[in-house]
Amino acid sequence: MTPPPGMADTMSPLERPRDSRANIDIIAPTKGAPWPYLMMLAIAIIGVIQAVIILAYQAYVGLGVAGYQQPIFWGVYIITFVFWIGIGHAGTLISAILFLFRAKWRNAVNRGAEALTVFAVMTAGLFPILHLGRLWKVYFLIPYPNQRQLWVNFKSPLLWDVFAISTYASISIVFFYIGLIPDIAAMRDRATGGKKVAYTILALGWQGTGPQWKAHSRSVLHLSGLATPLVLSVHSVVSWDFAMSIVPGWHATIFAPYFVAGAVFGGFAMVLNVLIPVRRIFRLEKYLTNYHFENMSKFLLLTSTICGYAYFAEYFIAWYSGVEFEQSSFWLRLFGPYWLSTWCMIIFNVVFPQLLWIKRLRTNLPFLFGLCFFINLGMWFERYVIIITSLSREYIPGTWGLYIISPVEIAVIVGSFCWFSMWFLLFLKAFPVIAISEVKELIIHEKDHGGSH
Amino acid sequence: MPELDRRDFLKLVGVGAGAAATACADPVEKLVPYVIQPEGVTPGIASYYASTCTECPAGCGIVVKTREGRPIKLEGNPENPINRGSLCTRGQVTLGRTYHPDRIEGPLSLGGDGTQSPITWEEGMSRLTSSLQKASGRAYVLGGPVGPSLSGVIDGMADAAGAKRVVYEPFSYDALRSGTEAVFGVRSLPIFDPEKADLIVDMGSDFLATGMSPCENSRQYADARDIQKHPEGGTRMISISPRLDGTTQSSDEWIAAGPGSQGAIAFALARAVYDKKGVPEGIDTSVVEAFLSGPTLEEAAAQANVEPERLKAIADALLAAKNPLVMPPGVAGTDSSAVSTVAVVMLINAMTGAIGQSVQVPAPSDQGAPASFAELEAMVSEMKAGRVDVLLVHDSNPVYSMPDSLGFNEALARVGTVVSFATLKDETSKSAQLVLPSNANMETWGDAAPRPGVRGLVQPTIRPLLDTQALGDIALDVTRALGGSAPEGSFHKVVEANWSDVNWRDALGNGGVYTDVEIPVPPMALSLNGLGYSAPQMAGDGDYKLIAFPHPYLGDGSGAALPWLQEIPEPVTKLEWNSWVELSFATAEKFGVDFGDVVEIQTPSGSVEASVFPRGGIRDDTIAIPTGQGHTVGFYSSMEGEGERPSWLTVESAVGTPGVARGVNVMSILPATTDERGGRTFLNTRASVKKTGRFRRLALAQWTDNQRKRHLAQSVTVPEANGHGEKDHGGHGGGHHDEPPHTFTASFDADPKSPYRWGMAIDNDKCDGCSACVAACYIENNIPVVGEGQAIQHREMSWIRIERYIGEGHVGGGEERRPIPRLEELGKLDVRYIAMPCQQCGAAPCESVCPTLATYHNKEGLNGMIYNRCAGTRYCANNCSYKVRRFNYFDYGNENFPGMLGLMLNPDVTVRQQGVMEKCSFCVQRIQAARQPAKDEGRDIMDGEVQTACQQACPTNSISFGNLRDDGSKVVKEADQPNRSYHLLQELNLRSSITYLAKVNREDQEGSA
Repeated sequence: MTPPPGMADTMSPLERPRDSRANIDIIAPTKGAPWPYLMMLAIAIIGVIQAVIILAYQAYVGLGVAGYQQPIFWGVYIITFVFWIGIGHAGTLISAILFLFRAKWRNAVNRGAEALTVFAVMTAGLFPILHLGRLWKVYFLIPYPNQRQLWVNFKSPLLWDVFAISTYASISIVFFYIGLIPDIAAMRDRATGGKKVAYTILALGWQGTGPQWKAHSRSVLHLSGLATPLVLSVHSVVSWDFAMSIVPGWHATIFAPYFVAGAVFGGFAMVLNVLIPVRRIFRLEKYLTNYHFENMSKFLLLTSTICGYAYFAEYFIAWYSGVEFEQSSFWLRLFGPYWLSTWCMIIFNVVFPQLLWIKRLRTNLPFLFGLCFFINLGMWFERYVIIITSLSREYIPGTWGLYIISPVEIAVIVGSFCWFSMWFLLFLKAFPVIAISEVKELIIHEKDHGGSH
Repeated sequence: MPELDRRDFLKLVGVGAGAAATACADPVEKLVPYVIQPEGVTPGIASYYASTCTECPAGCGIVVKTREGRPIKLEGNPENPINRGSLCTRGQVTLGRTYHPDRIEGPLSLGGDGTQSPITWEEGMSRLTSSLQKASGRAYVLGGPVGPSLSGVIDGMADAAGAKRVVYEPFSYDALRSGTEAVFGVRSLPIFDPEKADLIVDMGSDFLATGMSPCENSRQYADARDIQKHPEGGTRMISISPRLDGTTQSSDEWIAAGPGSQGAIAFALARAVYDKKGVPEGIDTSVVEAFLSGPTLEEAAAQANVEPERLKAIADALLAAKNPLVMPPGVAGTDSSAVSTVAVVMLINAMTGAIGQSVQVPAPSDQGAPASFAELEAMVSEMKAGRVDVLLVHDSNPVYSMPDSLGFNEALARVGTVVSFATLKDETSKSAQLVLPSNANMETWGDAAPRPGVRGLVQPTIRPLLDTQALGDIALDVTRALGGSAPEGSFHKVVEANWSDVNWRDALGNGGVYTDVEIPVPPMALSLNGLGYSAPQMAGDGDYKLIAFPHPYLGDGSGAALPWLQEIPEPVTKLEWNSWVELSFATAEKFGVDFGDVVEIQTPSGSVEASVFPRGGIRDDTIAIPTGQGHTVGFYSSMEGEGERPSWLTVESAVGTPGVARGVNVMSILPATTDERGGRTFLNTRASVKKTGRFRRLALAQWTDNQRKRHLAQSVTVPEANGHGEKDHGGHGGGHHDEPPHTFTASFDADPKSPYRWGMAIDNDKCDGCSACVAACYIENNIPVVGEGQAIQHREMSWIRIERYIGEGHVGGGEERRPIPRLEELGKLDVRYIAMPCQQCGAAPCESVCPTLATYHNKEGLNGMIYNRCAGTRYCANNCSYKVRRFNYFDYGNENFPGMLGLMLNPDVTVRQQGVMEKCSFCVQRIQAARQPAKDEGRDIMDGEVQTACQQACPTNSISFGNLRDDGSKVVKEADQPNRSYHLLQELNLRSSITYLAKVNREDQEGSA
């Protein structure tokens, strides 16, 4: 097979790193642990611990400590679940779909994006469990053979969720791990002591032989093929949690593409939010260049526009349907008690990204970082709007309600970000954030095929 | 030793937190079989005992359901002619008094340090007798109205001690008695039968909600208006009331007359009737004419601030009607000229021939008529003067319910020994030197004689749970100890002896003896001295007239201890758990206050602070506060029981602190004034309103009373109900979707082989919102009450709720939880109630989304709920279009039945665990109970064999339940009224098994937008 076009193509000869230089640059961040890093890690771990304690408290006394009330039975936990699942889309999209499409610019970011996917799914997967009224009964959702002949309801979108997310999580982890193996081997060769043992085990005896490389590239290709439909399916299934119900504001056929576009949009924003500081802190400017940011910005602009269209279509159809339930639900989204979240969603997700039409801004990293922060916020609000406003304004006006987020839920959201950050920070020190093997492969490839020296 | 039980362990493992060594475990409980099984007790089979409800003096018959020796549910006794099988909200939950956490566990004595400490009964009784001996007549027995037998032994005790007995009832209907006496010479409470009238002019009696016999009157009123029996619509009612109350909103025309103007209107109407009809033979017309020389219709209209034409129309209607009935003002309308108003109302009734028809004037009952307020004042001044050494208090709470300006509390401090016979601790027992707790209602013998022809028997259904004694036995013992003459044996024997004229066993079996007694029509015997029209006097010079209206559940405050009465939304406002001030929208705007803002209400006798409830159904010159709240003692009646739940949406006042009042006691700021004959008045003061700038959230059960033209609570006109005129399926006055509604046959939605498809028909025309069904459901299905903090977060667990909508509503608004301006309007009526249990849909949206199949469709068409299989994803509740599913946010099932309340649980219904979903099951346990005998006899369950708890309780018989596959069943017949039947949200095609019957608008109401 033809190796994917490398980053070397995108750089001027002077910028192009040499083989050995690449090794050092990319592995360098894994060495040592400066105090800012330790501080961040400590904060993340403390955040996780507080969330665990609060969740134990919640499980013990009951979900009443969260903001639920009739008729809003799903709240911040499901919102945050959908949010993280969405984040988890960028990784697979970059790794698999862009790989298959031979997008030249993906190589520098795919490792980071894949890691982000794995950690986002690990975060997201916790929420449907911890939002259960009796989370110790979570195994009820799994179809396992038992003497009592209890079975699950295959008609329920929540069950589809169980399969979709577990499949996605396993494929993402395998994909991530396969890609890591050659780099783990490289790390193994440089490591000493206990680390060496760990890397040795994880490297699965990688020697860099020809047959091994061949098998490796084949598996990456096949896994890409496997993972591609998952990008579309997972968030479609998640969207059906809503669309398959008869709640006004949820029951819409546009939900699957709308959610997938939103997920890719939010995922890219999160990739940028993570990579921009990583690039700066670990001095990876040579590997993550304007070219990548420009392309990702364009992708953001595209998906933002799709989201904007979806918002428009939702409101238009609600009006056009002539159904008062739908009309009231959407009217009150915009002008009811939740107007702030709705307008945040529209402005952050649709209006702000339009600035990316300006070429200069597409490579302005501080701007991009800020924009992506707002997009992430906007995407969280998008799920907030979909879930809370729809549930609070259903068919019977006498039963309408007002959801007020509780301190417990805020602590858990903070905890989820800490949990995600903790894994990402640990990952930065354990594995190279850019795939060394690919860099090496590319450089060798260029030498063999009459590179520029 | 603290143990870690399985559930706690799994919870902790579930979050990966490991085991916590300090877990509090429930004690291990074991099922112990009987060693020697008591005769007549079969475990698992309920026994039923007929008895009489003692929650209010109406004397409704009850059937006490007991399981394994524990009373667990009260139902109406079908034999009793008063309630005929139904039972109101208060009656349903009165059982809770027996198991109440406030029960006093044994005799108490007040020590020098101000705390009460336990003593023995011997000590308590000897102290009681010795103090009575020492008092040598300087003693009073103060207590609420009790049955004839108990009254007899209390009289005996009072006689032996030389004490004076004062029967005290805050809502004593003094004016009604005095007014009746003034016209007929008989001091008794008239009995009203709205069913026999064809026109009712209600002068603010609120007889459907807070009257003397609401259960009975509601049934009679509903029967009189049954559209199937009376195709022309039946009895009409015109209601004259300054605020839209529980009765006004069920009437056909509302005259929003100013508070205190009922007298003027009544006099003017009486004059009009007199001019046409005159008085019966033999009455001195000059006396009548002198008495009636009151205002003319125009003057009355001016005083009431209504158009004179409307009053003229009432006068004409009164003269035109065959059997008109005028209802005298209720408690809320008793002003300084209340006796004259009642007298003139009774005079109208006499002139129109209603006496003997829809009004009966019985001979005075021997239940001991309550003392007038003047007598109470005399007693208090004796106490103040230090001339009372011993005060015995039973069945009443005077410290709470006397107006502050009377000075009862200061007077109490000067009484040597205060002895309380309370069952539940209250303000009075708290300040008593000696507390000798009496048995609770399910533990005592007793009787009742509510009216001629009805004798009710009260029988105990459980042994005393605590170290208490029957009040009758205490009285007998004291009488004997003081050397008085007491009948032989225990109080039980006394009751039996008093009933020796009838077959005791039959009386026990029937809950009493009911005979058809023709109540003779009393001749008019006018004694109108000092009566005549006079404008009511109002104390103070505030801008607003203050209405202290009886809360339909809490009443004079005695209901506040029962958590169900606190949590079931008050039917008119839908507020729970606290006090509120009703202001009109204009008044609220004037003061710049809105829903929940705290205002200070000041009268010459004091001031209270409460949150504002702005509404359209009250006049601009009037403010209203419900009675019953403001207790400082009691687990539920004060704030003591609050704050057990972690909640961040806390209410402003000190949550969970004992001694802090829940709400305010409006009776404390009413001046101690009386009517012409010395009766207590409640409409006697003006008040001023002051904004405090604070906010205190109220628990409002319903987001809005605007149904946004969604046709949830539909209405039809009389011609439409009879099939004339086009019935727009959207209901009266509003277009629906263009396409015809989906049609379906609800009986199809069950297993084809099943003989049953259970269904319900609910007649919204009969429903007056009383919520007896809700109370019955709470008790039958072990539904926990959640408390104010949780109710504010809208986490009530009720399986059936009553929604209240005004008219068709309008699209728009809906941003905030509160009543909508311009829905309720003065003089306009279109209040629609709709009871909302689980619809048991044929195509239930909840079922398809449950991942664990915890909710499923059973063979008989019910949406089953397997609590054990529920993991708590709550998707079902999100997808339920009717929002009838309830979630256990906390471990309500274990923790919200404190103390002995757990003994009240129905063993046939699972107590739900934390984190599971629950909902109405159509009382599936009752279906199961009927199934076994049917199976034994090789037949299907017959129609009427299964009654759901809500259906059983309903005073107006609005709910029918049965098998939709049985064409002869009542439910099928009820539902088969095509002119007004509909399914809720039919366009969603959920195939609801409940058929609603639209409300009938008897007058062409403008309010139905």
